[in-house]
Amino acid sequence: MPDIAIDAPGTSQLFMGNEAIARGALEAGIGFATAYPGTPSSEILGSLAPVAKKMGIYAEWSVNEIVATEAAAGASLAGVRAITAMKQLGVNVASDFLSILVMSGLGKGGLVLVSCDDPGAISSDNEEDARNLAKSLGMPLVEPGNFQEAKDMTKWLFDLSEEIDNICMLRSVTRIAHSRGNVKLGELPKKEHKAYFDQIHDLRNVMPTKFMPHPVPSHHAALLQKLEKARERFESSPFNWYLGPDKADLLIITCGSCWLYSRDVVKELKLEDKVGILKLGTLWPLPEKFVEKHLNKSQKILFVEEVDPFLERSVMEMAASLPSDSPRPTFYGKRSGHLNAYGEMDQDVLIKVIASMTGLTYQPRDIEYGKKAEDAAKSYVPERSIAFCPGCPHRAAFWSIKNALKLDGRNGFVTGDIGCYGLALRPTGFYQSRSHYCMGSGAGVANGLGKLGQYGFNQPVLAVCGDSTFYHATVPALINGVHNQSNFILIILDNSGTAMTGFQPHPGSELNAMGEPAKFISMEDLCRSMGAHVEICDPFDLKNTTATLLEMMAEGGGAKVVVMRRQCELIRGRKEKPPYKVHVDPDECIGEACGCDRLCTRVFYCPGLIWDKENGKSKIDEVICTGCGVCADICPQGAIVKEAA
Amino acid sequence: MEAKGARELFERVIDAGLCASCGGCAGGCPYLLPYRGRIVLMDNCLLSEGQCYQYCPRTFTDMEAVSQKVLGVSFSEDEFDIVREIFLARSTDAEIHEKGQDGGAVTALLSVALAEGIIDGVVETKMDDNKIPHGFIARNREELLECAGVSYEPSPVLEALNRLPQESAEKLGIVGLPCHVASVSKMKTYPPKNRMNIDNVKLVIGLFCGWELSGGFRQFLEENFDLPQVVKFDIPHHPAHTFDVYTKSDKKSVELEDIGQYISEACSYCWDMTAEFADISVGSGRAKFKGWNTAVVRTKAGAELMDIARKKGALETQPIPIESIDNLKRASLNKKKKALSSIIAKTGDKKNLLYLGISQDLANKLLV
Repeated sequence: MPDIAIDAPGTSQLFMGNEAIARGALEAGIGFATAYPGTPSSEILGSLAPVAKKMGIYAEWSVNEIVATEAAAGASLAGVRAITAMKQLGVNVASDFLSILVMSGLGKGGLVLVSCDDPGAISSDNEEDARNLAKSLGMPLVEPGNFQEAKDMTKWLFDLSEEIDNICMLRSVTRIAHSRGNVKLGELPKKEHKAYFDQIHDLRNVMPTKFMPHPVPSHHAALLQKLEKARERFESSPFNWYLGPDKADLLIITCGSCWLYSRDVVKELKLEDKVGILKLGTLWPLPEKFVEKHLNKSQKILFVEEVDPFLERSVMEMAASLPSDSPRPTFYGKRSGHLNAYGEMDQDVLIKVIASMTGLTYQPRDIEYGKKAEDAAKSYVPERSIAFCPGCPHRAAFWSIKNALKLDGRNGFVTGDIGCYGLALRPTGFYQSRSHYCMGSGAGVANGLGKLGQYGFNQPVLAVCGDSTFYHATVPALINGVHNQSNFILIILDNSGTAMTGFQPHPGSELNAMGEPAKFISMEDLCRSMGAHVEICDPFDLKNTTATLLEMMAEGGGAKVVVMRRQCELIRGRKEKPPYKVHVDPDECIGEACGCDRLCTRVFYCPGLIWDKENGKSKIDEVICTGCGVCADICPQGAIVKEAA
Repeated sequence: MEAKGARELFERVIDAGLCASCGGCAGGCPYLLPYRGRIVLMDNCLLSEGQCYQYCPRTFTDMEAVSQKVLGVSFSEDEFDIVREIFLARSTDAEIHEKGQDGGAVTALLSVALAEGIIDGVVETKMDDNKIPHGFIARNREELLECAGVSYEPSPVLEALNRLPQESAEKLGIVGLPCHVASVSKMKTYPPKNRMNIDNVKLVIGLFCGWELSGGFRQFLEENFDLPQVVKFDIPHHPAHTFDVYTKSDKKSVELEDIGQYISEACSYCWDMTAEFADISVGSGRAKFKGWNTAVVRTKAGAELMDIARKKGALETQPIPIESIDNLKRASLNKKKKALSSIIAKTGDKKNLLYLGISQDLANKLLV
């Protein structure tokens, strides 16, 4: 990982977009950084935390996004510049607080919120366009179109935030957040942070400092003025520019990573003299005068942006209010059906649209060659679908969950949640998860299901959550379930860290983001303090785990908790050697015959097990097997042998 | 021999209400698990032919083929099949009497077979603390006595047999109801693959059976009795009309009517009262000979064991009166007739007898 705190102004460094944002925050002189991990945003705090001590700042993995935002706002109230980062879904969590924060205004410290959006939902459960939230909540919004801008915009946004006394938002997307590019560094400020909540309470000014939205209409009016001021600043922003001829056949209006795609496509089609690109970095409030100046560049305007037609609507709305003698170009984009309002944008999609709009034909490569290359690439890829890692405790946990539900026989089911264990919707988790919404929703939904007894509902409900999700959003749902005696079992799949996003610590960890000792909050003590019946089991002990679940399901009664505790294999494997050496005895393995039908490779489905088609036997893939030994306990023939390593 | 897979087993037997939960499908298979009176499908098995279907006593059974293989003679159309000898018997052992049902003849015979080395273990039903019946292998007299006594719930005994490792050389005896005996007889006729060697089964003792109690019976037991304290269940013969539950110090009786609703649907399709393919079949001595068992010896192996048991003084016997035999025959014939009517009522076709591989002539004769 590059050192984002390197003191080398004027040099260029190869930074990931998220690192560039973090560097920008350092150059802005932040004293406080918070985040809740979520792909593709995690590397922002992930790169700030290790340099926090050196830079004399505070960095925190907060329990969830709203607390992260509130904590960062707290720093702002005491005059310390603060940044908070999250994925697009996190902004929803924070939005309740944000909607009031914009009314109250900030303290003296600038405050920037970074939302890393995930068009195409590569690592998310929606592809929500957080630009809409900036607009609906009232936060000035910028979006970097390259890595340099990611740093520079972040830094500049703090100045803007302090000038207009409002939180500002930077929106990034996966392809900016997770790609790398050269970033020319600026100065790192050498100032001491001083935090003080200024009371301004003396005889001449009897009103103490208060941050609140009341009276709402006047605060609302003030917010609108702040946004107008931001618009004025945006009109002359260096992050907006035009590239192309004075009169173009086609004008592209774009932002973010789509700027890069647009530039590539225009170049590839050799249309630099015919197609102009208006690249916007400050998206909302729209710098209307700047945009208006360019509307007469072409009769045809195409909006190229990911997910929602955000710029498209803003510009069309503005154009509708222009005087009648203004230029009336035709608008193309999502509304016209030229581009989709879903999925990721890329050069392949764009080149087809622009070629057809400019009357060109484009053939990217020889079709035969393309097919051959695809086949050749496929031959190197193992034939398997997305799966839990070899040795993953979740596979063992869902094996017991599946078996317990089958044996119980009342058609019980799992309400799923957000984390690696979300894969339990798929074969790797034996299709056990039957609902999948937001963080904490597994237990939340179970609350309702568990109260339907009066309508004849007797299916056992098992809500799952991970350890980090438990602290993030499940605690209130569990409190509700215990208090209202809702009949469900909360299974906490405790693998000792926020595994899916890179093992960030959480309140159940003994160290904080900066590697300092933190107060460990025991999930079982917390649950027991609510009066919940809590059992703890090791998911690798299939027999006991299944029996525990069966017993608790048979018992009925209000909300209960089973903690299935086993460290994530990716963490354990770094520290310790494999516990077992596992092999398949080919004489005992009966493969597809009656009595097995490939239980290990077909149903249990650990990537560490391979089906040797030629010999009709299972095999261990010694390269990736982690020696957990669980498969030895499921083999009906005792053909999988585990020996203590 | 009709071969199908687990899917058809569920379609045609288990979900169709024919399953007796004998455990013949389970134990040698990771997909089928007996649990509290049900056979549970844990995952999808994709095989189109499986031993689960093959050895199920409620999938097509060619009675003639099984009889030839197991009894060495053609299938007899008599009321209770082949009989070498029939008499009354009881154990001479006080301890067996205390723990066993009726005359304790089964436990006495098995003790002798174990002691004489005819078998090394007995596959039979053992109830756990909550009186849930499981398959168990008793390898000495002590373990045998732990299994004495009757559970009226379906017991997946054969799961324990199928669970034995392929290379096991243990000589085995099996005690089971007619459904268990039918399944084992199919295994003998069509030897299993990737399972224990069925030739190791040296002795099959069948128990007379009218019906089992399932469905809500488990809940009924759990709600009405402190099951870990129960030592014995009994349904004494006429004129008594009760289901008796004994604890060490007490006896609680329930009117038979109250448990009639729990009689398993599967049993209505069973046509075998006396375990017709067993080496020895054993029932109660009924009211007239309380404390005695009725014993039917069918095979050479059965006759040999019976001889040794008598010689060793483990078993005393007495002739059974003709009228008692006639009563038995009548009861056995009744079960066959009832089963046939139930089957035909289910299939709606006099020619579709589900699992019963008997001649149409015999079917017609019984239906008269």
